[in-house]
Parts: sequence; structure tokens; C-alpha cells
Amino acid sequence: MTNQYYEFFCPVKVIAGKAALEHIPYELTGLGAKRPMIVTDKGVRAAGLLDPVLAACEESGLEIISIYDDVPPDSSTGVVKDIAGIYRREKCDSLIAVGGGSAIDTAKAVNILVSEGGDNIAEYSGAGIIKHPLKPFLVVPTTAGTGSEVTSVAVITDTAKSVKLPFTSSFLLPNAAVIDPRMTLTLPPHITAATAMDAMTHATEAFTCMAKNPLSDAYATAAIKKISQSLLKVMDNPKDSDNRLELAQASTMAGIAFSNSMVGLVHALGHATGAICHLPHGLCMSLYLPYVLEYNLETIRGPLGELLLYLEGPEVYAATPGNRRAEASISALRKLRDELFKRCKLPRTLKETGSVEEHQLDTIAELAMDDGSMMFNPKEVTLEDARAVLKKAWA
Amino acid sequence: MLAKRIQPMVFQARRLYVELMFQVMGRALQAVSEIDAAVQKEARGLPEGFLFEMMVMPDGSRFIVEHIGDGRFHYHGDSAPRETDLSIQFKHIAHAFLVLSFQEKTSVAFANDRMLVDGDISYAIRMTRILNRLETFILPKLVAQRAVKEYPSNLHLPEKLLSAARIYLKVASNFVDTVRA
Repeated sequence: MTNQYYEFFCPVKVIAGKAALEHIPYELTGLGAKRPMIVTDKGVRAAGLLDPVLAACEESGLEIISIYDDVPPDSSTGVVKDIAGIYRREKCDSLIAVGGGSAIDTAKAVNILVSEGGDNIAEYSGAGIIKHPLKPFLVVPTTAGTGSEVTSVAVITDTAKSVKLPFTSSFLLPNAAVIDPRMTLTLPPHITAATAMDAMTHATEAFTCMAKNPLSDAYATAAIKKISQSLLKVMDNPKDSDNRLELAQASTMAGIAFSNSMVGLVHALGHATGAICHLPHGLCMSLYLPYVLEYNLETIRGPLGELLLYLEGPEVYAATPGNRRAEASISALRKLRDELFKRCKLPRTLKETGSVEEHQLDTIAELAMDDGSMMFNPKEVTLEDARAVLKKAWA
Repeated sequence: MLAKRIQPMVFQARRLYVELMFQVMGRALQAVSEIDAAVQKEARGLPEGFLFEMMVMPDGSRFIVEHIGDGRFHYHGDSAPRETDLSIQFKHIAHAFLVLSFQEKTSVAFANDRMLVDGDISYAIRMTRILNRLETFILPKLVAQRAVKEYPSNLHLPEKLLSAARIYLKVASNFVDTVRA
């Protein structure tokens, strides 16, 4: 008998496809909610993405009681408190997050306050603090990458103490994730590419890191196949709603995969780079992915080789000798990055970003060493190893 | 029938083993922080007065160490002078036994959700590196390879033996001091 053991949990109802937004009123009614509040950001509103959501609710006679559209890119405890105040004042009974990672995380935190009580979200920071189900909560993602709609984590900045507060509880998971191709149709090419590579990294690390398990493997491989087949088609034809939907679904699937099997060194380096150089998360993922896979190669040769089937398809997989498949998978990812560079100048090295200076690499490496994702990287990473990977990713 | 009769004894032995291992680990953490520069460097990243606990849920065996400054730990036994800053909690004594009997690596136990981290995750990562360093010193290489993710290639036998001897000596004298007190 082996010592193999795993846990897998995803109770989020996924509502995906054409006219998915029109299911929102039915879902909320089913949860006993009649007075929803929308949490979103100005960018989403300006892009007109709120209009189909509002129209779908209005048509079904569901009144949106309040709309908060001022969530900043890096949400704070103050913002959460303000939104909770409006929610209570307006006597709302449910939340709909419409947006990317920040709007979704903010709505998760607001849901804690309005369900558990109090004004100070910092009191609920940590794991396992929340013991009860929260208010009805729906998420409508407007990017295809973060997977926040299926993760049980939220991160909010405590501006007074200048620290990021993590919140972890399965009760943070929304009741439903609504994936409608209309919501990502207007995403600019650069963001489409970066967020899709974020999802690609979630899936690749989920499949190659220490907590991989049969269920998350299934989601990860399916996500990688969808991204490989659809990303360049969307880059060439941004209005291709079928392939937009494929990317959005892939993002959710990759989210389910990594929230059940965690991520590794790519994320540790990416979090540190984001904190120090303020680079977008998806870009950091795209940047580090091949270099980290090369570093981990001998520990993950088997699973990485398997990914070739989903990255390049059955013909290439069959034509590649078994002992060369892992390297071929890395080449496939490099090729994809080159194509994205051609189409939208998505940087492939730290130097190409123009936002990182070489002297910052040591600080990035040191910060990455204390990142939680380090625990799940299949290879033990030393500070020297992290520096070496960063040096390779530099230029 | 026989299995049923000896089961309580097996449970008792397992509990005693985990308790003993926690006592050794706590004392060994203090010892390694007094002799190893790499551990001291890691520990200096923790706040002074930082209390670290490793325990079995819900209220089982535990040990607590405090970072008393300059990379040094002080072993507090099984009672903390105040609320701990970081607690690594095994969900069940069976899981603690798997790790402490080196049937499952610490990193694998984390990946397998055998343990919970209550506190700052970055400190938990740092403490795990310190525990790994300790294990590579005090365990025979074959056993240590089962305990840590990767046995360090730059740790050679003379350094390992010398460090292990110094740690065990300090652990033994700490045990004697505890008994005398």
C-alpha cells in the first residue's frame, strides 16, 4: 500500500456558455436572495460589461439594489469596510462580483463582514477562522486567468500596517461562477495573453508540483489543451466568442486544479516580482514558466512529458520519443510565448519588461524564498537556485 | 481478537513516541541554533520573542520554542508563556506519527493536507527550512533522505557527524537539566 493521499474540494456551481448571465436571477432566487449588490471596478463599468448583467436581471424582474464600482486594483481593508457599510445600509442580502481578481477578492472579504459581523476585516484574517456559511454570492469573471471564482482564498491589503492579509476558508467560495463569453470579448490582446498564460501556469504547476492528484490532474490537462488550442486563435481574432469561452473555461478549470494541488516556484518568484517591481501577475507567470520547468526538469520529467499531448496534440506527442517529451513540452511553451511576443509584445524575459533592474534580482530571490508556494515545488530550492533561475530569466 | 486487545497498547506507544520525538525536536532546535550558522541566519529572519509551536490537534502533544534573538531558540517544553505566533498542527496523531517516524516527508505531509498552519505562512516556510536542516544533521543519511525533500549535496560526513554529536550532547544535557529541575 502506498502512502498516497489527497483532498479535493470544489462545491462551486459552474454556469458557463451562451446566455449564462441570464441564469443569474434564477440562481439568486434559488438561494433565497432578492436584494443583490454588485461589486465591480470602474474599468469593467467603462467597458460596458455591467450592462448585460443589469439587463439580464432587469428582464427577470430582479432589482440590483446597489452597485459599488470603485474597487481599486489592490483592494484594501478600508474599501471592504465601506462596501460592507453600503450593503448594510441598503439592506442587501447577496453579492455579485463582476470583474477580475481584485473585485472578486474584495467581494469575498465583504461577504465575511456582512455575514459574520463587525467592521474590521483584519480580525478574520488567517485560515479556518470562518465557521459558518456566508451570504449568497455569485462571481462573474471578466478576465480569463486568475481562477479566483473557484478558489477559497482572498488577499486584502491592510493599508494601516502595509501588509497583505490572507483569508482562507471554504466558505469564501461563491455559490456559482457565471462564465459568459461576452464578459471577456473586449479584453485587450496584452491582457488576454497574460491572463491566459496565468491560467496555463496554474495548470502546469498543478500538474507538476507536489500536491498533484488524479482529480486536479484531469482539470489541469483539460485546461492546458483548451489554452493551447484557443489562445492564438483569440489573439488573431479577438471577437471569436467560441474560443473566448474556451479560454474562460480553461481559466476556471485551471483554478479548480491549482486550488486543490497548489503551485510552486513560478508563483513564488512571480509573487516576489509583483511585490517588488509591480509587474502584473499573469506577465510574471508567463515570464518564469519555462525557466522554472527547466530547473525542475529532472524531478518532473514524467508528468511534464505527459503534458506534451495537451500542449501539441497527439501527432507531435506520438512522434516524440518518450525521453524527449519533457524538453518538447518546454519548447512548446517557449514557442507559444514567442507567438504572443510577435502578436502583442508580451515580454519573455525580465529585461524585456523594462520594469525590472538587474540589481533587484537578489531581493526578488530573497523574498521568493519565504513564499508559501515554495513548499509545494517538487525540488528543494536554495537561495542560490532562485538566483540562478532569475539570472536565466533576466535576458 | 488479539489485534483488538493490543490496539490500545499500539495507540499508547504511538502517543508516547510522538511525545518523545517532540521533546527531542524542541531541544534539538535550541541546540542547532546554538551551533549552526545557517540555522542562525534563517532564524534571524524571525522577530525576537517569536513563539513557534508544533502540536497534534485537538489538544495533543506539543512543543514550543522561542526565538530569543540573534538566531537563537529557547525550548519552552509543552507550555507557551503567551499566545504562540505560529502553530503547525497535525490534524491527527496518526499523521504526526507518519512524519515523525519518517514514513512521510514534512513537505509531503504539507502537500497531503496532514497539517495546518496557523500564523504567517512565510515564517512557516522559514521554520520548515530550519527543521529540514536539523533533520539532515541529526538523522542518518538514509533516514534523513526520507524526511526532507532533498538531502543537501554539500553536507559532508565530517561536518554532519560533528554537528550531530554536538546537538545530541546538548539535547542530552538539556534532558538532564529538566529532570534535575
